[in-house]
Amino acid sequence: MSEVEQQQNQSQDQQKPIEISAPSKFIDEITRSKVIVKLYSGEEYHGLLDSIDGYMNITLEETKEFINNKLIKSYGDVFIRGNNVLYISNV
Amino acid sequence: MSESKSEPLDLVRLLLDEKIHVKLRGARELSGKLQAYDSHCNLVLSDAVETIYDTNENNELISRNKTSEILFVRGDSVILVSSPSDE
Amino acid sequence: MLFLSFFKTLVDREITVELKNGVEIRGVLKTADQYFNLKLDNVTCINESKFPHLSSVKSIFLRGSTVRYVHLTNNDVDTNLLQDASRRGE
Repeated sequence: MSEVEQQQNQSQDQQKPIEISAPSKFIDEITRSKVIVKLYSGEEYHGLLDSIDGYMNITLEETKEFINNKLIKSYGDVFIRGNNVLYISNV
Repeated sequence: MSESKSEPLDLVRLLLDEKIHVKLRGARELSGKLQAYDSHCNLVLSDAVETIYDTNENNELISRNKTSEILFVRGDSVILVSSPSDE
Repeated sequence: MLFLSFFKTLVDREITVELKNGVEIRGVLKTADQYFNLKLDNVTCINESKFPHLSSVKSIFLRGSTVRYVHLTNNDVDTNLLQDASRRGE
């Protein structure tokens, strides 16, 4: 067996069944928990995820705005228009 | 169809007739009373104050204000909408 | 179509449109469509010294996507009507 074939076999062996769940399940799981929303323009918003829709429009509670990891401003509730969102992540 | 499950635009609905703060593309912010909105985030504000941020020739941050009795804002410029009282 | 109806009520009124490139145009609104494309007559450019290329323009068609703001005055609008329509989600 050539080295290449061995590597291929190995990588196949390592393929364990990964649980694939819809992104919407992730969204359900992180709703009401603390998240980071990063925008294309670089700003980050840290807060409690209140709601999110199919456009990635998002509302957060107890929100803090960070630019270059520096706290800029605190908000209560904010609505973020989805087209600006790069990602949402739980912390 | 009218489930009680909350969606993001519900927050904007709650802000109708309230003073709001809007962050816009192009280093602009607005404050004013929310009179109308739609699903694109097109807005109408009354007694609006726009703050435009810029840097001068010495690279210092400067800002200037512009006011408008009634202001229609096209939704594609909107980044963020919040209530201003809790800043 | 709340805002289309809104713009229809402004026809024949003088409005000021601020574009995303900074140009501000004042004129009488003649038509508006679903994209908020706007046609203005009796046009004047507010910041003409900055944008002199519009000084001879009398009538203009604006593509909706280039608009940042439309500036209006209190007697142009019925704010109660706007609020009610927004609550109904029209």
